[in-house]
Amino acid sequence: MAVNGVTLNPSVTAVRDLRSASCGPVGAPKVTSDLSENIILTSLDDLHNWARLSSLWPLLYGTACCFIEFAALIGSRFDFDRFGLVPRSSPRQADLLIVAGTVTMKMAPALVRLYEQMPEPKYVIAMGACTITGGMFSADSTTAVRGVDKLIPVDLYLPGCPPRPEAIFDAVIKLRKKVGNESVAERSKISQTHRYVTVPHEMKRVEPAVTGAYLRAETQVNALKPSSLVPLEVELKESEPVTSQSVIHADTLSPHTTDS
Amino acid sequence: MSETPAAPPVPAGPEPGPVSAWLSQQGLGHKLLEPDHFGVEMIGIEPTLLQVVAAALKADGFDYLQCQGGYDEGPGQQLVCFYHLIAMDELVNDGPIVPPEAKPREVRLKVFLPRDGIPSVPSLYGLFRGADWQERETFDMFGISFDGHPHPKRLLMPEDWKGWPLRKDYVQPDFYEMQDAY
Repeated sequence: MAVNGVTLNPSVTAVRDLRSASCGPVGAPKVTSDLSENIILTSLDDLHNWARLSSLWPLLYGTACCFIEFAALIGSRFDFDRFGLVPRSSPRQADLLIVAGTVTMKMAPALVRLYEQMPEPKYVIAMGACTITGGMFSADSTTAVRGVDKLIPVDLYLPGCPPRPEAIFDAVIKLRKKVGNESVAERSKISQTHRYVTVPHEMKRVEPAVTGAYLRAETQVNALKPSSLVPLEVELKESEPVTSQSVIHADTLSPHTTDS
Repeated sequence: MSETPAAPPVPAGPEPGPVSAWLSQQGLGHKLLEPDHFGVEMIGIEPTLLQVVAAALKADGFDYLQCQGGYDEGPGQQLVCFYHLIAMDELVNDGPIVPPEAKPREVRLKVFLPRDGIPSVPSLYGLFRGADWQERETFDMFGISFDGHPHPKRLLMPEDWKGWPLRKDYVQPDFYEMQDAY
C-alpha cells in the first residue's frame, strides 16, 4: 500500500536504501543500523507483563449455567485461544480462576482450596450475578454463598445472568489491562500476606465424613452391577470360531465382582 | 412438594377409590384422603404398615415409585412423607400397541408424622432401589429418618450441617458467607 508515493510497512531493504540515501556520501553507520534492526528497547516490566497477559490460563471451574457460556468460548465460534487462554484442569498450572456459577456452602471449601493451590500471581473473575452477590439465590437460599468475594479476593466482577461469551471476552481484556499495568518492583507491596477472612479457631480435627464407604457398600455394588443373568451377546463374524470368550457375561464387566 | 394439606377425615369422607377398595379387601388398614386435583387417589398410611402396603401394591402391579418426597404442613403441624406409585408394566405389556390416551394406574401414599423428636418411617429401599437418593434428600431437607436405609446421611447439604432446611420452622444460621452481600 502506498500513500503519496511513500510505502507504508516498507521492507527491510527499502529502509536500508532510504537510510543510505539520506546519510550522504559517508553512508549509513553500520552499528546504529544493526542496533535498530535487531534490538527492541523496552522495560522488563512490559516484557514480563506482555508474556503474562498473553498466556492467562484459566482453571476449568464451573458449578452452574455460567459455565455453559464459558464453555462456549472453548469452541471455534468464540475461540478464546486467540487471547492465549488455554483451559487447564489443574490448579497448579492455572493463573486465572473464573468462578462460573453459584457457590454453595458445600462447595466453598473446595473453591478456597483450589484457589490456594494456584501459583502466584493469580487472578479471579467473579462471573455472573450468583458469584457477585448471590444473585437470585440471595433472597432465601439456605446454602448459597452471597458473594464469592467473601471467600477469595476478586479482581474483576463480571455481571450478567449469565453473561454472554462476548462479555467474558470483555472481562478478559480488562483483566489483561490490569495485568499490563503491574510492576515486578511493586509486587511485594501489592501482594497481600493474608488474602481472605479467617478466624483463628480452636476446633479439633475429625475424620472426614466422606469415606467412600457409600460406593463400596454391598447394597450399592449390587445396585450398580448389571444383571448377571443376561449375557451380553457379542456380534461375531461368521468365520470367527466361537470361543469361551466370545460371550461376555455381564459379571466380568463389573469391576466390583472381585471384591464381593 | 407444595400440595394442599389433606383434609382431616370426616365421617362423610371421600369415596374409596379402586386402590383403597383393594386394600380393604386385603385387610390392610389405611385412611381415606381426598383425591388431588388430577383425581389421583390418595391414601394415608401408618408408618408401621408402610412396607406391607407398598409391597402389596407392588405385587398388585404398582411397580414404579415415580416420586418420593416430603413436605411440611406448617408451623407446629405434621410432616408428611409421600410416595407416588404408578403401574408401568401392565400399561406397556397389555398389548402390542399402547393407545395414546392410555393412562397408568396411579396412587399416592402419605405418611403423616409428628414433628417432635425424630420422625421415622421404614425405608422402601428394599422394594424400590430408586428410593435411595430420594429418601436421602427427604432426610436431608425434613429430618425424616428412614429405618433400614443403607446410607442414612445427607444428600445435598454438607454432612455436618445442623437443622432441616425445608421445615417451616428452620432458622437460617447467620454465617458470614450467607449474609447479604451489600
